[in-house]
Amino acid sequence: MAVTGYPRPALAPGESISARIGCIERLSFSYPGSEAEALVDVSLELERGEVALVLGRSGSGKSTLLRSLAGLVPHFHGGRFSGSVSVAGLDTRRTAPAALAGTVATLFQDPEDQIVFDRVASEVSFGPENLGLQPGEVARRVASSLTAVGAEHLFSRSTRDLSGGELQRVCLASALALEPQLLLLDEPTSQLDPEGAAAFLELVGELARERGMAVVLSEQRPALPLEICDRVLFLERGRLLLDAPRAQAIEWLEENAPAFVEPPKAAAKQDADSGGVICELEGIGYAYRPGTPVLENVSLELRSGEIVALAGPNGSGKTTLAKLACGLLEAQQGRALCHGRSGYLSQDPGRYVVCERAEDEVALGIEGDLPRARRWLAELGLERRERRHPRDLSSGERERLGLAAVLATEPDLLVLDEPTRGVDPERKRELGEMLRAGSEGRATLLVSHDLGFTRSVADRIVSLAENGVLVDA
Amino acid sequence: MRPSIALALLGACVVAALVVAHPLSLAILAAALLVLLLQTSWRRARLFLLGIAVSSFGLFLIFPLTAQTGSHPLWNGPILPVIGSIDVTREELAAGAVQTLRLATVALAFALWALKLDHDRLVRETRLARRSVLTVALATRLIPTLERDAAGFVEALRGRGVEVEGLRGRSRLLAPLVASSLERALTLAESMEARGYGRPARARPARSPFSWHERTALAFSLLLVVSSLIWL
Repeated sequence: MAVTGYPRPALAPGESISARIGCIERLSFSYPGSEAEALVDVSLELERGEVALVLGRSGSGKSTLLRSLAGLVPHFHGGRFSGSVSVAGLDTRRTAPAALAGTVATLFQDPEDQIVFDRVASEVSFGPENLGLQPGEVARRVASSLTAVGAEHLFSRSTRDLSGGELQRVCLASALALEPQLLLLDEPTSQLDPEGAAAFLELVGELARERGMAVVLSEQRPALPLEICDRVLFLERGRLLLDAPRAQAIEWLEENAPAFVEPPKAAAKQDADSGGVICELEGIGYAYRPGTPVLENVSLELRSGEIVALAGPNGSGKTTLAKLACGLLEAQQGRALCHGRSGYLSQDPGRYVVCERAEDEVALGIEGDLPRARRWLAELGLERRERRHPRDLSSGERERLGLAAVLATEPDLLVLDEPTRGVDPERKRELGEMLRAGSEGRATLLVSHDLGFTRSVADRIVSLAENGVLVDA
Repeated sequence: MRPSIALALLGACVVAALVVAHPLSLAILAAALLVLLLQTSWRRARLFLLGIAVSSFGLFLIFPLTAQTGSHPLWNGPILPVIGSIDVTREELAAGAVQTLRLATVALAFALWALKLDHDRLVRETRLARRSVLTVALATRLIPTLERDAAGFVEALRGRGVEVEGLRGRSRLLAPLVASSLERALTLAESMEARGYGRPARARPARSPFSWHERTALAFSLLLVVSSLIWL
């Protein structure tokens, strides 16, 4: 694929060079112990007030690019580093990440793993306190950043009790409290429902323009970020293939990486009555704590051969319903019946790392049948990873390993909880095709915030409202 | 009460538990801490209580078998290589009870540190050894995280038809749990560094004067340590 470069607009007369906040020159980097380069000869400049969207397949170097701008590469990770990265005039090789903290702020992929304190207020004030600000200024920044992300009501809440979406907002507030000139967001909407994701990205765009802050954002659900970004960077195997303004980038993507811009094609719908009933949920109710039901009087029927997508806002009880359907939870009210064997894919791919080798991990659920495990690994494109430790796989590969481990059990009811989290659009397309091809003879319940994916795969979409009521979407 | 005072109180209880030899004094101390622990939510306290009960009972069983004291034998067992004679005397049982109470008291103090103390405030207010206090506070948070991780592993296994049963089944989860904790620790460290942790100039919240009950608690802590050293 040819490298496509678009000329950056020349500085207008009178425009200061200080409009440029970040500069990467001929950056190449490889992680310790790895022969392959994670970034290869990357050069780019970032300007204040712009939102740059970084796209690319899994393992293309998006997160590494963001880490290099935060100085975490090479300071935190080590490895071989050549070229230069400067942010606000500071060379990241000579400036430690902690010293860059007032200039750069990073929001990492998994909000749960970034939490230091028990209370939201303490969490958000951690950064400003590290900067050595006076208590009054710390308090002002905590209040203003929580207000900016619409989370002021969470001020005195415990971080343990927050939903994924709320945690993501608190982590963004923690980053904003540093009042950075460059904000780095690594898949920040991966746990948010479509409405939450749209609001979050809109907020990011507003903050960039209001505060004159540059934002670099990587995403695997590119439809929404493509609407708010000013510029798109596309990475492939560590090389920057595209650096262009939004309109030109969309044209380039349509030609070279269509899965990133084209809405997935809608699935050919199955006749809902074609197969026998595999799972029946009738008047289901469930509460984790007495008096606060997550689900009330929910009924759903899943038939053989159909794929049903379950949508709904964060905290509406989708995962609870999925677990009830496959028998991982027992209904407290109503009746849940599954005719046949069920399989459940957890939304956390980090749960499929019990064994030392990928093939053993898959074989675990099929009484150690290694030939069958290898067949399923090959089916999911992991044929060369059979003997690797599951922890040595990339996040996208771990996701596929989990799927192979569940699919290998050949369940009559397959329940997938957010199977596209962290999966790039091309892999999603392959996953959708595979689910459709194998849907005959089994019922599939797909829990997902990824509307594009669910539309492309599901025969019908049902949605859980916040009060736990199920409606046809 | 500010958490540093509560920590001083718990510290005094631990010192007293390690110094005091009288079983009644130890029992009173353990009972007081248990009452305080039971005032927290049962859901959070039960894991600690289970751990304390199992470890204390285990120590009570093992201690008389491994100790070699006393002249009033209650049971004579075989002589084993390396360990020697396996017998139980009245004195060994009494000493075992004291050691068990000691362990339970220290463990109860730790449970109270984990469940009742405001770690956020403690870390922010600490002026001495802040890094160590933060490390211990983060390590304490690891306990519920491990519990959640273990439940997640069990659920993912059940989701593919593998039931986790018995000690062998659960012990299989130990290595992945430790590895997950290490992975999480790395991510957390990276996130903390990106938020300026480790910079020399760090802001500290303004210090307010001690209230009368904080002064009383501090004096009581001191009294507990001194009295346990002198009289008990």
